Amino acid sequence: MVEILFFIAAIGAIAGAVGVVVLENPFYSVLSLVAHLLSLALLFLLLEAQFVAAVQVVVYAGAVMVLYVFVVSYVGGQNLPIRAVNSPSLRIAAPLFAFCLFVELMIATLGTGLSAISSEGPKLAANYGEPEQIGELLLTKFLLPFEVASFLLLIAAVGAVMLARRRRGLDEPEVPAPLGLLRPAGTGTMAESAGGGFFRKSTASASDDSTSTGRDLG
Amino acid sequence: MSPILAVVGYAEPWWIAILKSVIIFAVALSMVPVVLIVERKLLGRFQGRYGPNRVGPMGMMQPLADIGKLITKAPFRPTTSIGFLFILAPAISMITAVAAFAIIPFGNVVDIAGTPVGLYGIDVGIGPLYLFAFGAVAFYGIMLGGWASGSKYSFLGSMRAAAQLISYEVAQGLSIVGVIITAGTLSLTEIVEAQEGMWYFIPQFVGLIVFMVASFAETNRTPFDLAEADAELVGGYNTEYGGSRFASYFFAEYLNVLIVSGIATTLFFGGWLLPFGIDPPTWVDPIVVLVKMFAFVFFFIWVRATLPRLRYDQLMSFGWKILLPIATLNTLITAIVVVAID
Repeated sequence: MVEILFFIAAIGAIAGAVGVVVLENPFYSVLSLVAHLLSLALLFLLLEAQFVAAVQVVVYAGAVMVLYVFVVSYVGGQNLPIRAVNSPSLRIAAPLFAFCLFVELMIATLGTGLSAISSEGPKLAANYGEPEQIGELLLTKFLLPFEVASFLLLIAAVGAVMLARRRRGLDEPEVPAPLGLLRPAGTGTMAESAGGGFFRKSTASASDDSTSTGRDLG
Repeated sequence: MSPILAVVGYAEPWWIAILKSVIIFAVALSMVPVVLIVERKLLGRFQGRYGPNRVGPMGMMQPLADIGKLITKAPFRPTTSIGFLFILAPAISMITAVAAFAIIPFGNVVDIAGTPVGLYGIDVGIGPLYLFAFGAVAFYGIMLGGWASGSKYSFLGSMRAAAQLISYEVAQGLSIVGVIITAGTLSLTEIVEAQEGMWYFIPQFVGLIVFMVASFAETNRTPFDLAEADAELVGGYNTEYGGSRFASYFFAEYLNVLIVSGIATTLFFGGWLLPFGIDPPTWVDPIVVLVKMFAFVFFFIWVRATLPRLRYDQLMSFGWKILLPIATLNTLITAIVVVAID
C-alpha cells in the first residue's frame, strides 16, 4: 500500500514538474505546478509529516498558487508563443547554472540519501510530525531562524503595502462615464429636464467634452 | 493495526474504516435534501408565502423531484469550454466537500457490538488544518469551473470567488486559533472533551462571531454570495453548468454549509455534549450533534432571508480591515489570558 502510494505521488510530482516546463499554455503550466505540489504533500504524508503536508497544501496550493492562477487567467490567455532565447550570454549562462544545480543536488543525494535507502530508517517518536513537536522545536532550537524569517515576511508585507498605497500628489484616476458617452444629447433624461445636460451643453462652448455630460447625468 | 499515512487519534481495523466512510457518505448525501427543503420552506415563510407544497405530503418530496430532474437532464457543454477541465471541476468540488465532512465528530469512541468504533470519519492530529487543506483544493473546483466554461460571467464569478476565498480564509483560520489555544489540542474530539465545563462560545465569543462571518463568505452564502450574484453575473461560476454537473456544485455548496455548521458545533458549542451536566447514553450523541448542526443551518437560512448582498469593495475592506484585525486581537488576548491563568 505504502509502495503504491509512493509511486503514485512520485510519478505525479515528476510529471507535474515536467509539465510546468513543457506545457505552452501558462494556465496549464500553473495547474501542472498545483498537481506537483499536491503530490509533494502526499510524499510528506508518507513520511508521517502530516503537519508539513497540510501546510504544504494550505500555503502553496491554497494561497500562493491561487495568486498565480489569478494573474495567469487574467493576462495569460493570449496563447503567445514562447520566444526563443536570443541573448548569447543567457544561452551560455542558463545551462551552466542548471548544471551547477544538478551537481549540487547530486552531491547532496549521494552524500546522505543513498546510504539510508537500504536501512530500516530511524524509529519515530510517538507523536512524530504533530504540530506540538514542530512548535516546540520552532520556539526552542530554531528560535533565531524562525524569528528572522517572520521579520523578513513582515518587511515584505509592509513593503507591499507601501508600494500599493495611493500616493499623494497624483491626479485622481480619470473614470469615464460610459452612460454619458453612449447616450446622445437631448434624449430625455431627468438631468436634462431639470435644466442640466442638453440645454446647458448647447449653450456651453464647443470644447465641452462628453464626460461632463456624464457627470451631470450622475 | 497502525495507520499508514499519519498519526491519528484512534485507528480501527480497515473494514470498520470502509464501513464508516460508506455510512458517513450516506448520511451526508441524505442530509443535503433535508437542508434543501428546510431552506425553501423557511424562505417561503420568511417572505410571507408557502414555499414548495405540491410534491408529496406538504411538499416534502420537492428536493427529490429537483434532484431527479437534474440528473436525468442531458449533459451538455458550450463549444467555447475546455472539455476535460469542465468535467473535472464539479467533481473536485464534490470530492473535497465529502472528504472534509469526514472530520466532524458525531461522538467519541463507542462500543458497537463488542467493537470499539469512533463516531467520526477520521480523528486527525492536525484537526482543523485538514479542513483548510481541503478548502484550499475546493477552490480549484470553483476556479476551474469558471475558467473552463469559456464564458465571461463564469470567469468573473470564479475570479470573485478566488479573491473572496483567500481573503476570508485568513480570518477564518485565525478565529479558531483562540479555541485551539484554550483547549491546548488540535484534535477535534479532544477539543469537545475540553468543553466539559464550559462551551467555548462563552470565552471565545469574538472568535465565534468572526468564524461565522468568515464562514458565510467561505461557503458563498448571502450576504457574501458575490461569486454567484445572480443579479450581476447570471449564475457566477456555474452559469454554463446544467444537469448533474450543476447538481454536483449545488450538492457541494450545501454540504459545505453543513460542514461549517458541524465545525462551529464542535469548536464552540460542545459537540456531542449536553448542557447542565446531562449525561445521556452514547447513542444520543450523534443526534445531539445533528440537532446543533441544523440550528446553525437555520441561522444560515435566516441570514439569507434577512440581509441584502454586500458590494464587492465593501466585502474586501470588511474582510481585511475589520475581520482580520479582530481575529488577530482575539488570538493575542486569548494567548495572554491563557498564559496568565496557568
